[in-house]
Amino acid sequence: MNFLGVYKKIIIILLLLTLFTYTLGYLGVVNSLFVGVILVTTFIKAQLVIEYFMGLKDVSLKYRIIPSLWLFIVISLIAFAYYLPINKA
Amino acid sequence: MQLNKSLELGRKATYPPGDIGIWIVIYIELITFGALFLGYAFARRSDVELFNNSQLLLNQSAGFVNTIVLLLSSWFVVQAVQTIKNSDRQKAIKFTSRWLLAAMSFGAIFIIIKISELSDKFEQGINLSTNTFFMFYIMMSVFHFLHVLLGIFILFIIRKKVKANGYTIKDHKGLETGASYWHMVDLLWIILFPLVYIMR
Repeated sequence: MNFLGVYKKIIIILLLLTLFTYTLGYLGVVNSLFVGVILVTTFIKAQLVIEYFMGLKDVSLKYRIIPSLWLFIVISLIAFAYYLPINKA
Repeated sequence: MQLNKSLELGRKATYPPGDIGIWIVIYIELITFGALFLGYAFARRSDVELFNNSQLLLNQSAGFVNTIVLLLSSWFVVQAVQTIKNSDRQKAIKFTSRWLLAAMSFGAIFIIIKISELSDKFEQGINLSTNTFFMFYIMMSVFHFLHVLLGIFILFIIRKKVKANGYTIKDHKGLETGASYWHMVDLLWIILFPLVYIMR
């Protein structure tokens, strides 16, 4: 039953972070700083789903590391694509 | 099952929840969608203005509601997996079945919103060849949409087995397998939503 309490907290965090992201978009304040903030928020949300909903926090590292590493690489490369200066030749 | 035993002993389980086969599918899906996300992010660099202007035509509120809907649906599935472990079997079957029904219903809401969003775009004459942004948007949306449809079907099959008393406290691997797939669908949308609808 204690587990159900943990999951309630996780879903509340996920919903609040989603609301935060949407509000930034709605207010139209998504500049280069906020892109970073949104990516960090997205990383936290996805990691919570991987660890708690998919149940990988209780699994040996070799299985747990694959989705977490995937997430880290994807988010980092998206950040790279957004922050790397564009050459206008 | 093996996860429960390991948790009781206070050590990490060797294998993730559900069938190992579904994890191979999940890893392949993650790589496929990862390539699409990165394709979008790097293609955007060739014409940032086009991507930003095209993004304004998307319905951010629909994307937001769909994110909430999928997160809640995923949470309902977590509840279903926890409830099947109830020692009162009648209660376990009744409530697991209800949680799964709730998850499927929210999956259906996602589908309805997505169909209305996509048909709105098609009515405006937007299609795969409109521009690079919409090529990625339609491709990723439809691909993810098909995964949601398959997920709902899997939950439907699992629910039928739950109602037929097909899972026990010790053995509910099938339920965990379907749950893992459904969480993957949610995980992918968590990245797709800010990337396509919000970030500029």
